[in-house]
Amino acid sequence: MSSTDAGPPDVDLGRVWLGVAAQVWRREPGWAERAAGRLLRSPGLARALMTTPSLLLGWLIATAAVLAAGVLATLGTGTPYVPLLAPAVAAAGIAYAYGPGIDPAWELSLSMAVSDRMVLLVRALVVFGLNAALGLAASAASGAAAAVTFGWLVPMTAACGLALAAATLARSANVGVAAGAAGWVITVLAGRAAAGRLTAVITDSALILPYLAFAACCGLIVLYATRIPRGTS
Amino acid sequence: MNVELTDLTRRFGRTTAVAGVSLHTGPGVFGLLGPNGAGKTTLLRMTATVIPPTSGRLRLLGRDPGGYEPRREIRRRLGYLPQNLGYYPGFTVAEFVEYFALLKDMPPGRVPQAVAAAIEHVGLGDRARARLRTLSGGMLRRAGIAQAIVNEPELLLLDEPTAGLDPEQRVAFRGLLRELGQRATVIVSTHLVEDVGAACSEVALMEQGRIVFHGTPAELTARGEGSGAAGDAPLERGYSAVLAAARSTTAARA
Repeated sequence: MSSTDAGPPDVDLGRVWLGVAAQVWRREPGWAERAAGRLLRSPGLARALMTTPSLLLGWLIATAAVLAAGVLATLGTGTPYVPLLAPAVAAAGIAYAYGPGIDPAWELSLSMAVSDRMVLLVRALVVFGLNAALGLAASAASGAAAAVTFGWLVPMTAACGLALAAATLARSANVGVAAGAAGWVITVLAGRAAAGRLTAVITDSALILPYLAFAACCGLIVLYATRIPRGTS
Repeated sequence: MNVELTDLTRRFGRTTAVAGVSLHTGPGVFGLLGPNGAGKTTLLRMTATVIPPTSGRLRLLGRDPGGYEPRREIRRRLGYLPQNLGYYPGFTVAEFVEYFALLKDMPPGRVPQAVAAAIEHVGLGDRARARLRTLSGGMLRRAGIAQAIVNEPELLLLDEPTAGLDPEQRVAFRGLLRELGQRATVIVSTHLVEDVGAACSEVALMEQGRIVFHGTPAELTARGEGSGAAGDAPLERGYSAVLAAARSTTAARA
């Protein structure tokens, strides 16, 4: 049978349209998402990271503005305000990284294959890293001494741990922010009362181990609060 | 059996939301009826692995969701539409559906085609690039249904899926349910008895955390015949009759 005898091949127009629509509606991930996807080996986790509320541009600008105000205050008064501000700002960012009321689609996310605990962990780590970088840049800009420039990183870990643990347990970012900020303010004021210096809590090396131990305890609380109980069957 | 619930109980403090529910079902559309506060949403949330049961046995798609890997495998094959669908207002419909396709661990190469298919399935093709904040309630509900079916789930859980849909959309949605039910287990929680009559092959009625009826829509209809129960349609009269009987039994026990 010659080819001219055959009718036109059947074309599934619906299928063709789906192919076209898939290309037209396709979203091109940005360089940061592509890099995160390669690093985390999970495009879903990378996408979840990119939607972190406290990594959105508005939040980052607000963080930079607070730290810039701290730089100006430090340069104007000589008191190192940046190291005192940075832990509280980071704690707020961590508390607002993930959770009900913060993530609009949080309920839905809980039924997804990409583990919500992994999403929380990755988001918290990136928010912490970014806040540490911004804080270090602000510290350097304020001309603080080296001991003060790096001294707040460990207390920041403790403040962030407290904020995350409180937010996870209470299932409320606002509670996390309140706990982290209040904890840090109380620590600073207690340090000032005990040593007579506002910066005692970031320059006293004897506090490093207690800060780390506290942060570790908070980490354990977060792991416990985000566990899935076993033995349901 | 895709869903095996045995003596499933969930408590929130002193409140028992689901009390010893046992249910086994395979492919088909399963309707979950009941008044407000009957425990339908809690039962669906447990079946969606969002919350664990307080006690009882739960097996989904032949796996125990208590373990990490089985749970992950279940979630890859699961579609879930919660009662209160949260969404990112700045996302487009396509971005929203794609987000959940990725969170469901779908192979990235398959995602664009699957997203397009899901959006077309719910009739939102002309709004695929519209921001979610610009959509009506019914359109948002359809976007929610699109994310639920994007991975062609073997187990689909829909909590009040027709809320906000207009009559034409509801008719189309029932057709979609019947189509999906041919290869998957679809559990639909609804207040709308006519949805159950039109789309479901099996139905359960919940009251105060318990299943007080389990059968076909025809069997539920039969319960209402000659009972004098309230309702405009035969199925509604069956619903009312079963509910009244369950409440009188509870009252007699008390």
